[in-house]
Amino acid sequence: MIGSNISRWTMTYFAAALAWLFVALGLLVAGVGYPAGDIASPDTLVLVHVICVGWLSLAMCGALFQFVPVLVAKPLFSDKWALPALALLTVGLLSLLGGFLCLGGRLPPALWLLPLGAILLVAGFGLVVLDLGLTAWLRPTGPARFVLVGLASLCATMAFGAIFAFALAGWAGAAGGVVLSSGIPLHAIAGLGGWLTLTAMGVSYRLLAMFMLAPDVDDRQSGVTLAVGALAVAFAVAGGALAIGLAAGLQIVLSIAAVLGIASAALYGRDVAGIFSNRKRRHLELNMRMATLSFASLAGMALLGIALVTFDAFLANVGAFAFLAIFGWLSGLVLAKLYKIVAFLTWLETYGPVMGRAPTPRVQDLVAEDRATKWFVIYYAAVWTGTAALLGGEPAALRVAAAAMTVCVVGIVHEIVRIRRLADVARPLRLPVGAVAPHLLFARK
Amino acid sequence: MSIMTQYIDVDVRPILRAGGEPFSVIMSALENLAPGQGLRLYATFKPIPLFAVMQKKGFAHTEQALEGGEWEVLFTPAETQPDEPAAAASNFDNWPDPAVTLDNRDLDPPEPMVRILAEADKLGPGETLSALLRREPVFLFPQLEKRGFRWLGGFTSDGTAYELTVRAPS
Repeated sequence: MIGSNISRWTMTYFAAALAWLFVALGLLVAGVGYPAGDIASPDTLVLVHVICVGWLSLAMCGALFQFVPVLVAKPLFSDKWALPALALLTVGLLSLLGGFLCLGGRLPPALWLLPLGAILLVAGFGLVVLDLGLTAWLRPTGPARFVLVGLASLCATMAFGAIFAFALAGWAGAAGGVVLSSGIPLHAIAGLGGWLTLTAMGVSYRLLAMFMLAPDVDDRQSGVTLAVGALAVAFAVAGGALAIGLAAGLQIVLSIAAVLGIASAALYGRDVAGIFSNRKRRHLELNMRMATLSFASLAGMALLGIALVTFDAFLANVGAFAFLAIFGWLSGLVLAKLYKIVAFLTWLETYGPVMGRAPTPRVQDLVAEDRATKWFVIYYAAVWTGTAALLGGEPAALRVAAAAMTVCVVGIVHEIVRIRRLADVARPLRLPVGAVAPHLLFARK
Repeated sequence: MSIMTQYIDVDVRPILRAGGEPFSVIMSALENLAPGQGLRLYATFKPIPLFAVMQKKGFAHTEQALEGGEWEVLFTPAETQPDEPAAAASNFDNWPDPAVTLDNRDLDPPEPMVRILAEADKLGPGETLSALLRREPVFLFPQLEKRGFRWLGGFTSDGTAYELTVRAPS
């Protein structure tokens, strides 16, 4: 088989990811973890891992199981690994979170939960990395190379995370303690920068071009963007690990990585601007208009980072910087693209078999953009308000912003469920003879 | 089908799963058959387009569904010899001129795919259609395959358009 079928479990990944997003927003509203608590506290570790593993990584994996085959125009290496991987990741995350709660004294001490969680997460992500890596390797061009670098970064993130988990449980000896005491920035850079950001960039190149009818970005041009971004991550991880080994400070390494990171974001901005200006489709759909707010957040991050470093205030405000990265850039982009991806896959799954044989609705007939737009716009406004609240040292204001974000995500999820249920498709077109209504949580085969 | 027929096994499932094109492997296996030998083919889908080719080469077919949507097909040499094997082979390479040509370059997605499927369903046996697209239609291919069509496609030399030819089952 050539080409791409519908990935059976992508919707399941999305649903699990959204459930974790609600957990994260609930914690923020309740004031658990940073900024109400210390940035290095176990509560903050719970919050950060719920967001980065539960929400962002699961959503990214679900999207990749569908779109890596599209990037390379080859079927997935194995369809059978996605569901076991999801189970391992879910149980692993629960175990890790349990370990953090023990660490903070919220649960009776059972620190073995940390290494257990790490092992399960490594197993789950390992399946994902193997499956997607072996698929992308078949045709490692353009966007697929971003995914390969992203997967390599995920491996680095897991390696650090596993060492931390064993060290926190007291099973990693003195060396583990040294890595734990200074390696956290490297774990965060590899995860947020390498795995989530570079992968999101790679997938966005193809999705933006596909849905806007724009020519693909030239491989050499996107290759430069990737090379600079990969160098930033590699420099931070390898240089940082070397610095830790030599007991030297991380400052120089991280400064160089930051400059490379900003350069990569700027090059990505140039590439995306090129896709937008070369598009054949003039009308911008909701997911594109909202994605621009996500790109604005990425640009805002770069400016904020430069300003904070200039005024020597980066470490004091790293929480605000991370908040904008996680909720403005990554979560915003993922939510905007989910809206489109769910509509497109639902349309393909439902109407593909009868297409050309019976009148079918357009993808646009499955969505109600006017109704959905407000949730996205208020969401971004709340994220930017929350970033300002963090910069201003106003935890109470952040909780209000998080509550507004929660309401908006409820609104967006409601729209996505309506898409899945074909609720906005006009009756006569909804289910032509031969079409089967989709299941909410997985694709029928 | 004669019970005496001896079958050579050809399993193209790994090739198909890897996204490859098994046609040349099947044809070279065919060339190596001794007179009277047949071919037992394993594939991940019912290889409808191949039936016509094999028929022209003088083989009858019986197919059997296996588990997981896979197929086992027996190609048995017919009693009568094919009139001209070489010509039959080139028949497969030289598809007839397209009965329909579509320029879908300026349609909004997924309209190009809908139009191609609608026109493909109207083709007579063995007829072809050709379409110009802006992009490689990766989501169209599985739909074509499920309906038993064969296709050839690639970007034009200047890279501005994707040229797709679809052939209806004979």
